[in-house]
Amino acid sequence: MREALDAWTFVAAAYAVGIGATLAMTLWSLLSMQRAEKRRDDARKR
Amino acid sequence: MHGFANPARFLRIARWLMPLCMGAGFVVAFGALGWGLFFGPAERLQGETVRIVYLHVPAAWLGMAGWMGIAAASFMELVWRHPLAGIAARACAVPGAVFTAVCLITGSLWGRPAWGTWWVWDGRLTSMLVLLFLYFGWMALSQASEASDGGRNRAPAIFGLVGAVNIPIIHYSVIWWNSQHQAPSITVGKSAMAGAFLWPLLLAMLGFTLLFAGCVLARMRAILANQQAEARLRRKALGAAY
Amino acid sequence: MQESAENMAQTERMAKGTVQGTIKAKHQRLVLLVIALVVLIGAALLAAWALRNQASYFYVPAEIQAHPPESGRAVRLGGMVAKGSLKTEADGVTIAFAVEDGKARVPVRFKGIVPSLFVEGSGVVAEGHMGAGGVFEADNLLAKHDENYVPREMKDMTREQAEKVMRETTR
Repeated sequence: MREALDAWTFVAAAYAVGIGATLAMTLWSLLSMQRAEKRRDDARKR
Repeated sequence: MHGFANPARFLRIARWLMPLCMGAGFVVAFGALGWGLFFGPAERLQGETVRIVYLHVPAAWLGMAGWMGIAAASFMELVWRHPLAGIAARACAVPGAVFTAVCLITGSLWGRPAWGTWWVWDGRLTSMLVLLFLYFGWMALSQASEASDGGRNRAPAIFGLVGAVNIPIIHYSVIWWNSQHQAPSITVGKSAMAGAFLWPLLLAMLGFTLLFAGCVLARMRAILANQQAEARLRRKALGAAY
Repeated sequence: MQESAENMAQTERMAKGTVQGTIKAKHQRLVLLVIALVVLIGAALLAAWALRNQASYFYVPAEIQAHPPESGRAVRLGGMVAKGSLKTEADGVTIAFAVEDGKARVPVRFKGIVPSLFVEGSGVVAEGHMGAGGVFEADNLLAKHDENYVPREMKDMTREQAEKVMRETTR
């Protein structure tokens, strides 16, 4: 008996994880950078 | 080299380099993924599951590249005490750990249909899992040393260099030991991979590398800005006390 | 006036001294660190070399035949599924095949579901134990993929045809 799995399920899951993680990381890097630079600029102004 | 060690000059470069890396990385990485996913061929034995390679291999490369970045920055930190070296090392940690985790998860999702198992404890899989734990340990240590020795980064730098021993172990694990994981398909100047798989893969690696560089630059700017803000606030607090 | 000039010269000398001192310290740190790294990498390579048998995930047929594991002990056997050796037994679910590594051949029996990549001429890792008569009784089969990636459209071509297509598409 040979196993017959639907390959596309695994491909879709892998792409969801990979793309989701990449986007989340990029977004977090950008937002935390903006927040930090705003904090620095505020500290300089005051 | 010393030019990059100057925070002001670094900021001047990073301000245009970071969006450039991220923008180009986005276009190239997602273009390559679309190419491989919708236009690339299925593999003779593996069928459609082979498409996971376009995520798995770039993630593996960047997981290892992240630690190589930490090790290189640690070396500069210990020898030349560049003011940006510790920041660069810290900026590599989260992106490297994220890509290592992506590599492990996509590998597991590939192993189930291809090998018939989610996970095995062979040399390659185990050493990659060790890399993920090294990242966790390094992040905890760097956070602790930031609080205790005023950001001198000595302990994490030493850990970063010692942990780099794992990188050649990951790479050679499939050559030194019998393993479930196959030997590398792409070696210097040679490829056991047909061009129809190789080109989208190389493009995906380039795109994700650019994205990774963009994230590291953004992290560096964030860490630097936080340090500058804290220094400013501390000075102000001192000034108010007198 | 003269005094201050002397002072200045002295501070300059002192500054020079510290600059030389820091350069020397940098060199020292560099040399120490490089030595430490060389020792560390050497130790790791030695450890990896010493572990080369223990850390292997499976035994190949030649190792199994040279040092047969006591029957009943759980081991993994890995190698190529010998071409033309795969047979289904009378009950329709038990399969028999041979695993080879170019030096030796071990017959294997397995009852159950095989992974979709399990084919003759491809790699396999069998988990199980040595049974009576030198037959490896597998409880589980894992397919092993090799490093070659060939598009599906090329699978019926001869080797030369496929190489020609690969040359044309990779250019």
